[in-house]
Amino acid sequence: MSTLTLTDPRDLSRHVSLRHTFSQILSMAGRSLIKMRRNPEQLFDVVFQPILFTLMFAYVFGGAISGSTHRYLPLIIPGILAQTVLTACMATGTQLREDMDKGVFDRFKSLPISRLAPLAGPMVADLVRYTIAVTLTILMGLVMGYRPHGGVGGVVGAGLLLIFAGWSLAWAFTWLGTIAKSARAVQGYSMMVMFPLTFLSNAYVPTTSMPTWLQDFVKVNPVSHIVSAARDLMNQGAVTAEVGWALVGCVAVIAIFAPLSLVSYRRKI
Amino acid sequence: MSTVIHDSATLTKRSLRHIRRSPDTIVTTAITPIAMMLLFVYVLGGAIRTGDHNGTGAYATYVLPGILLMTIASGVAYTAYRMFMDVSTGIIERFQSMPIARSAFLWSHVVTSVVANVVSLVLVVLVALVIGFRSGAGIFAWIGVAGIVLLFTLSLTWLALVPGLTATSADGVSGFSYPLIFLPFVSSAFVPTATMPGPVRWFAEHQPVTPVVNTIRGLWAQTSVGNDWWIALLWCLGLLVVSYVAVMRAYRRRVS
Repeated sequence: MSTLTLTDPRDLSRHVSLRHTFSQILSMAGRSLIKMRRNPEQLFDVVFQPILFTLMFAYVFGGAISGSTHRYLPLIIPGILAQTVLTACMATGTQLREDMDKGVFDRFKSLPISRLAPLAGPMVADLVRYTIAVTLTILMGLVMGYRPHGGVGGVVGAGLLLIFAGWSLAWAFTWLGTIAKSARAVQGYSMMVMFPLTFLSNAYVPTTSMPTWLQDFVKVNPVSHIVSAARDLMNQGAVTAEVGWALVGCVAVIAIFAPLSLVSYRRKI
Repeated sequence: MSTVIHDSATLTKRSLRHIRRSPDTIVTTAITPIAMMLLFVYVLGGAIRTGDHNGTGAYATYVLPGILLMTIASGVAYTAYRMFMDVSTGIIERFQSMPIARSAFLWSHVVTSVVANVVSLVLVVLVALVIGFRSGAGIFAWIGVAGIVLLFTLSLTWLALVPGLTATSADGVSGFSYPLIFLPFVSSAFVPTATMPGPVRWFAEHQPVTPVVNTIRGLWAQTSVGNDWWIALLWCLGLLVVSYVAVMRAYRRRVS
């Protein structure tokens, strides 16, 4: 007759190896991807929004802004790319808060997994959403007649830059998700931050056409730097100072908000 | 007839009290169009070529008619929601058991919607005046603008009552307003239709928002409105009649 031996929980190693951490992060990313597949409305902001915005701005406003739809595309496509990716990352915080409210994280806490995995997993899965957004917007532009002079390299470079920008900003919304009271509050705060940042930028029109007092804000707006960097890469294939500033900004956001997210997340669970 | 008016007035007071107790609904209704107006005037306005309009103030004058229609569209979304809430909470059944004219319930929602929309529209016009809207139009032109705006509000209000009576969920009710809010974008509200490519231009010139916008713009600018005024009138009246018939059918089905 075999005897059942219960291990003292204190004997279990608290440390999870780096290899296991990566494996667990990918498992959590897989969980998020399954959620996306089961709730396709989660993809609305990365599927319909870029298509709708590209069509509307190019065909309705293009002629009045640039003289013709065709001449407006090099200006608007990078702008819509940036806007779509940067607004798509707001969902990260909302979904995290929803999971925390449902008590899913209490279950994860009882599992012998890395504390980082439930937080980083959805962030990895979100890369898929950003990639969908970038790909669809570029394809939409190409169908409408946009021909980027930066070539394949410039387009891929701009796409990667924007995906990285979205991923880095998602850390800020993740932090918001860990400190806010509800998913609705996260959504509200996120909109309050992102609406002015994306619309009060050079995404849709040249900065020079705006009133002077607004130009001052637009020029220091980080979204404007990301849009300009994407434009330089896509339309010229040039790695300009704007690309450097955009990357520095992204790294700074990660450096600030990733530790903050982890600290407040640990405190929460 | 006097019974209908009396009962409608009583139920309208009830609906208006709801609004007075949550004035945020009017503010929320006005905030989205005001934000749109500020965005278009300050961010996009300088880059948009509208022919004879240049500068912030001039574009504010150009864009205001479309913003007013957007205000009405977001206002009637609340009308649909209020109707849905009344229907889903079973208040209709209570009123049915009382000696009240049947149509009074509908008219109360219609009048409340018009009143709430007028307040929102006044708020929007005040903000427009602050950011540079100017018109040298006379009293009759302003009466004409008020008339067409009220008729448009009335038409959309009756249209909003259809989903209010027939929707099965709150999401279904709110979903109805998206096309209404989207229509002004593909019209002459923000840019001249002449700057749009062929098929888009055709759609923009043959949908209800464009003649209404052109009529209001023409009246304010004291220029000829051509055929636009009667096309706008036909659209509004046609929509009003169709919506009224649809509402009456849905209401009869609901109360029978």
